[in-house]
Amino acid sequence: MSGGIVEVKEHKDGEENMAAWLVGIKTLKIEPYHLPPLGPHDVKVQIKALGICGSDVHHFKNMRCANFIVKKPMVIGHECAGIIEEVGSQVKTLAVGDRVALEPGISCRRCNLCKDGRYNLCPEMKFFGSPPTNGSLANKVVHPEYLCFKLPDNVSLEEGAMCEPLSVGVHACRRANISPETNVLIVGAGPIGLIVLLAARAFGAPRIVIVDVDDCRLSIAKNLGADETIQVSTNIQDVGEEVVKLQSAMGSGIDVSFDCVGLNKTMSTALNATRSGGKVCLIGLAQSETTVPLTPAAVREVDVIGIFRYRNTWPLCIELLKTGKIDVKPLITHRFGFSQKGVEDAFETSASGRSAIKVMFNL
Amino acid sequence: MGKGGMSHGSAGEAKDGEEENMAAWLLGINTLKIQPFKLPPLGPHDVKIRVKAVGICGSDVHYLKTLRCADFIVKEPMVIGHECAGIIEEVGSEVKKLVPGDRVALEPGISCWRCNLCKEGRYNLCPEMKFFATPPVHGSLANQVVHPADLCFKLPGSVSLEEGAMCEPLSVGVHACRRANIGPETNVLVMGAGPIGLVTMLAARAFGAPRIVIVDVDDHRLSVAKELGADDIVKVSTNIQDVAEEVSQIHKAMEAGIDVTFDCAGFNKTMSTALSATRAGGKVCLVGMGHSEMTVPLTPAAAREVDVVGIFRYKNTWPLCLEFISSGKIDVKPLITHRFGFSQKEVEEAFETSAGGGNAIKVMFNL
Repeated sequence: MSGGIVEVKEHKDGEENMAAWLVGIKTLKIEPYHLPPLGPHDVKVQIKALGICGSDVHHFKNMRCANFIVKKPMVIGHECAGIIEEVGSQVKTLAVGDRVALEPGISCRRCNLCKDGRYNLCPEMKFFGSPPTNGSLANKVVHPEYLCFKLPDNVSLEEGAMCEPLSVGVHACRRANISPETNVLIVGAGPIGLIVLLAARAFGAPRIVIVDVDDCRLSIAKNLGADETIQVSTNIQDVGEEVVKLQSAMGSGIDVSFDCVGLNKTMSTALNATRSGGKVCLIGLAQSETTVPLTPAAVREVDVIGIFRYRNTWPLCIELLKTGKIDVKPLITHRFGFSQKGVEDAFETSASGRSAIKVMFNL
Repeated sequence: MGKGGMSHGSAGEAKDGEEENMAAWLLGINTLKIQPFKLPPLGPHDVKIRVKAVGICGSDVHYLKTLRCADFIVKEPMVIGHECAGIIEEVGSEVKKLVPGDRVALEPGISCWRCNLCKEGRYNLCPEMKFFATPPVHGSLANQVVHPADLCFKLPGSVSLEEGAMCEPLSVGVHACRRANIGPETNVLVMGAGPIGLVTMLAARAFGAPRIVIVDVDDHRLSVAKELGADDIVKVSTNIQDVAEEVSQIHKAMEAGIDVTFDCAGFNKTMSTALSATRAGGKVCLVGMGHSEMTVPLTPAAAREVDVVGIFRYKNTWPLCLEFISSGKIDVKPLITHRFGFSQKEVEEAFETSAGGGNAIKVMFNL
């Protein structure tokens, strides 16, 4: 499924680098983007594919996302892949012409969290499209070599860009210890819920039930391999009844629930539906303060595990795509070119939800 | 430290010369009566214990006041009490490791040993759990009880019967420290300096926690915590608007990131404080059960990968508790603040004292 006119902008040497700048609420403008000089361990990447994330839309609509506030014009976008154009003097593992997927976040590598391997939590993280760090919806970007991952021949640039959202699912499945023994409930069949579905299956989950309010998204989930789908309401009074339905649909205890929405109702459902000793993984970040039945879950030792982005996931994502264990292509529902109109249409499409799962730019 | 009255065992003489077994029965709200308690026959793997020390738990007080605790409802008269130790009087035919005269601490809960949770070792979550004084199962504030031998743990010579009874609350702290992975690298914050906060603090130290800060609304309890070894104490309020300021004070007191926070109270305010104060990638362990539904800033915590770990009772903790006590790594004796004997009047006074909070930490019966 594709929408919009695919306009491929020819980018020759010497042409100015252009990017999509967020300059105000719902205002994106394609304007020049001056790149920093190439450091010895950096590469210059010609961006070829870039997906839009819910957080990009949120920044677009509100000029902020949680505690990240856009105070000055910022290049948007972070889910990307491209072709190496130039390499720094100390770059050893990549060469001009290599096709790579980019991991967006540059951590400090000096703090305790980084040294511990939990670099996704680094307080000095510089992340594409999280203010004040410019994103990657541009002709070119400069990025550290160690955050660019070479794509096998059979993995496309679009699939390379999909590694970013897929990484959220992979990181969540690791933190929740998904395995051939964990029955999984997924609350929310949006882009993140669907990614988690694919990742959980790849990690061996034997049975996956997914719920949503939208039957269109549920049918996509069924096509992507959910064992069962259940339509739920937005009414918190329905939690009791829905939990009974989902547990019935699972047939056995729910070991892990992923809340890919993050509202009171979805969290309450997840906490109630999960078996004693199980885990609820909170990925969706919809609400800041939540009113949830935490204690009844805690006294059943249902633990709540938080997810923030990902760490060390690109190699695994690429492997899963290469071997066909995961097919992300059906998630790309709309494509647009890199023009002022293309950018505006793309964001409008992504923001509208429903049948739009992943909106992808081809540059 | 207060002391209750003399122990007047209330022993009715049964016809064949044997003492009738008496127990403290919960008959109605605020109504406890010492009455006969007929014991079940001794199975091959059971032992009969003469109970010598029983501590009162917050849940016992809750049952007394409301005839319920969470989803457990007292529908018929029930013997109260579950934190106990005593002396073996009789052993079943297949019992090999215990003999009459052995002093033992009792782990209260009998799980089914057949379900998946039991087989996995998470028997504390067994849906068929039969737990002393959790209705409809009778408790152990009695002259004698019958119990499976594998749930009776022999006390080393240096460990008193009262310390044996203290293994039960201490087990909650030990289980929490295990689930939260307390070690020499985890700086710990304890919310609440009541009996559970204090045993959690003692357990955390025994597990090697290098720095422990404890908070409470009550000065007296904070001073007890300081005496028991807290590195720093912070007095906090019950006002949820104060969370941000208190988090700041707590961070100053810890002088480093807070790796694990134990919420031993379980209210919106304490959980909110815990979730805000804990460092990215840390854990909040919810031990206290103050409120059922909580309004808390869960998302900001989840977005920093602060995990919430739940605690329900304990599993496989008695051997470690006894090791901690016998080696001196943990001293529970200062927590026993009041003692009473096993008589109608003293049972009533003991519960009143325990329910009063304040200076009363652990109220202990000596039978």
